[in-house]
Amino acid sequence: MSTVRTGITPMAWLIAPSALLFALFFFLPMGLMALISLLTGNPVVQPNVSFTTKYYQRILGDPYYFEVIWTTLRIGLLTTLAALLIGYPLAHWMARIRGRTAYAVLMMTVLTPMLTGIVVRTFAWMALLSDKGAINQTLTGLGLISKPLPLMYNEFSIVLGLTHIYVPYMVLTLVGVIARIDERLEHAAQNLGASPLRAFLEVTLPLSLPGILAGSLLVFALAISAYVTPILMGGFQIMTLPMLIYQQISSSFNVGFAAALGMVLLTISLVLVIAYNRILGLVSGQRDLQ
Amino acid sequence: MTAAPFTPRLGRFCYLALNVAVVVFLLAPIAIVFVFALNPTPYIQFPPVGVSLRWFEKFFASRDFMNALRLSLEVAVMTTIAATLFGGSAALALARGGLPGARVITAIMLSPLMLPAILTGLALFQSYVLLDVGRPLWGLVLGHTLVSVPYVVRTTLAVLQNFDTRLEEAARNLGADPLRTYFEVTLPLTKPGVMAGAVFAFIVSFDQFPVSLFLVSPGRETLPITLFNYLKFDLDGTIGAASVVSIVLAMLVVFGLDRTVGLRSYAKL
Amino acid sequence: MTKTRLPMNRRQFLTTSAAGISVIAAPHIARADAATLRITGWGGKWGQTMSNELIPAFEKEFKCKVETDSAFPYLPKLQASSRSAPVYDVLHTNSNEQWAALEMGIVEARIDAKQVPNIADVYPYAVSDKMVGVCIFTSAIGLGMRTDKGYGKVSSWKDLWDRAYDGVRGGYVIPVNSLGQAFLMMSGALFGKGMTDLDAAYAAMEKLKPIKLVDFTGTMEKMILSGEVGVAVIHDSGILRYDGQNQPTTFVAPSEGVLSLEQVLTLTPGTKVRELANAYVNYMLSPGVQKTLAESVWYSPANSKVKLDDKYNEKLLTTPEKVATLIQPDWKWYNARKEEIDSRVNRIFRA
Repeated sequence: MSTVRTGITPMAWLIAPSALLFALFFFLPMGLMALISLLTGNPVVQPNVSFTTKYYQRILGDPYYFEVIWTTLRIGLLTTLAALLIGYPLAHWMARIRGRTAYAVLMMTVLTPMLTGIVVRTFAWMALLSDKGAINQTLTGLGLISKPLPLMYNEFSIVLGLTHIYVPYMVLTLVGVIARIDERLEHAAQNLGASPLRAFLEVTLPLSLPGILAGSLLVFALAISAYVTPILMGGFQIMTLPMLIYQQISSSFNVGFAAALGMVLLTISLVLVIAYNRILGLVSGQRDLQ
Repeated sequence: MTAAPFTPRLGRFCYLALNVAVVVFLLAPIAIVFVFALNPTPYIQFPPVGVSLRWFEKFFASRDFMNALRLSLEVAVMTTIAATLFGGSAALALARGGLPGARVITAIMLSPLMLPAILTGLALFQSYVLLDVGRPLWGLVLGHTLVSVPYVVRTTLAVLQNFDTRLEEAARNLGADPLRTYFEVTLPLTKPGVMAGAVFAFIVSFDQFPVSLFLVSPGRETLPITLFNYLKFDLDGTIGAASVVSIVLAMLVVFGLDRTVGLRSYAKL
Repeated sequence: MTKTRLPMNRRQFLTTSAAGISVIAAPHIARADAATLRITGWGGKWGQTMSNELIPAFEKEFKCKVETDSAFPYLPKLQASSRSAPVYDVLHTNSNEQWAALEMGIVEARIDAKQVPNIADVYPYAVSDKMVGVCIFTSAIGLGMRTDKGYGKVSSWKDLWDRAYDGVRGGYVIPVNSLGQAFLMMSGALFGKGMTDLDAAYAAMEKLKPIKLVDFTGTMEKMILSGEVGVAVIHDSGILRYDGQNQPTTFVAPSEGVLSLEQVLTLTPGTKVRELANAYVNYMLSPGVQKTLAESVWYSPANSKVKLDDKYNEKLLTTPEKVATLIQPDWKWYNARKEEIDSRVNRIFRA
């Protein structure tokens, strides 16, 4: 942990460029969106607009929107859990592996899905999961099934698609953290009689908690704001908040409502970040015993 | 193999098997993309009927795709540079600046990740209309930078916070002034974190879709947008060809980074 | 310079020279800041035909530059741009969106017939009161199906509800797709009192499940080709454009009538190149262009004077009698209720 510094140092001025960037190109536009969510029209292009809370009232008054919010959160949680369960072993392997080439190969494996592009990756899953896709054709060809399995256009395919996209983010976040855990701690535990599994569960895992939290927060935040994959994999039959926002913008032309929905999503996300920071604070406090 | 002493062979086998399964999961769709890039039929079909380079030909012959590929690369490079400068400086200020409410500021810096990027894109488009600038290239780069900066901040901050500041103190005790300390001690040790953030920024920009949706203009589209629109009309292997080319290009970038900086060094300090 | 004396004094000579030079130079000056026409356009075969042949010809004839935006969605961008500096000069989209755009005041209701002479030759439907702007092409929305799966005879819309097609039925995401919206209204007519009977339509939608939904006709075309879908709502162009490729697919014009899927052009009120925009609309309605596009993507031309080759003439709607069978939905009515309809169908079709 770094030593505590009191008072602002000259380094603080380095925040200026980013502060300017954010103020002009994030807060101002976002402020505009927040404003639009409370107006009857778009003040930039329409002359007569007035204040209204009808969009927020609509969200709060119709249980359908709670359902959509819950679906969004549920998909986010499932994706985060899946990404964690799949990503942790790989991160652990990468962090502990010897050999520069081996590490580079694994890094390529992790980065390649990210590099393929979101559209193409989803197209690949369509090629794998649809009724005439690879999996169903193979199973039918082998005579194992007579009717194709419904692997697409449901929550399963959305979670699968999202997990595949976000596992690399989880892995890259965890690798650094796990690598910094001194291996000798694990060895010490084993020398004291613990099995490798126990050493892992009681030494490595707790120490990697900050990484787990960081990775989970990142994946969750990305998963609840994703819309390309849910649209292509779920066929609009599973409705998430970002999809609804997209629909409102692109085919209902209701920017005000879209903005209101977006503010709801932003609020949920901010609550999460605050919660995460609190938990991290507690966890880091415990870690000071190192 | 690993040096950790996994004594029960079964445990070790399970560990390896699990990891291999994960690797297969990650690479299976990529393999499919390769297969379809080479399959001649113009719709999803399995098993593939043959090997053909027609989709690669179509991809390279298409002016739209080539322009889009070039633009995506240009924008990604510009975004990476911008995001590294903005994010790196912000992380440094947050870690060493002693700013009041640093935690809140950090959360704010990470907030572009939290909002659906389509709203960010629309909000920026509205702002550009307000400023009457149309849909300029710098507008697109700025949008990408906004959503890439959080990654650079995250990784750089992680490195800076786990930094052994005694190294900096030692340098100062030996007589170096703050600026020299910064350039000869802090910066070199922070580089892996910044590089990792830069890689993220490049990938995020190259693959960016929602922010670009409203900020691209005719003749100046990025590859994901062109692919998405192409997918509406033609579900053929050209998409696979585009992907294969993207992967190869990006692999070269990553490989180059590994050779020059060594991605491994990010993992340990 | 000749040696003969010119019958004018020096001042006249200089004036005429100046005039002469500016006449010679004018095209260069004009080309130097050539006007730009900003339009929207589909991708796929339409986009290829436009960018390879038709747009370059237009640019040459009118000495201008044309910028085509083919990145969906168009209307939100037009909606978000200022009224005096719209992002497009001419908007090309389907009728439902044109009506929504009119409602928002971002497109003009009528095309100026004096500036677009070819408009005199179009069929009545292209400028009817159900139309905003002018329709340049139309297609018939009906049913598309596979011919090699042993399905029974399909001749009515109601055949789509046959349980035999569970698992291979294809439809559209109604909130985002005009074929889906037209089909919804049709269901009201099939099972209820008419195209405005929404209750009957909703009940019919419930019975239509299970169904595979897509948001765009291009995707539906591919799903039919790959066999993912066996019977689907689609426009004739989506099936006919694969003519000659020996595909086991066919288009059925249901007995209750086919719906009109219109390609419509409108001008934006704030356009700075009005003359050019009108010239473009006129160009798209000219017989030569109509024939080229109709035959490349199998759309039915709106210009009644167009003569297509026989094989196209047979299948497309090229006579007043055939054109009279088209049902034009009341988009103004639909758009006014779109929000509640979308909420309702989102709920009906949720997994």
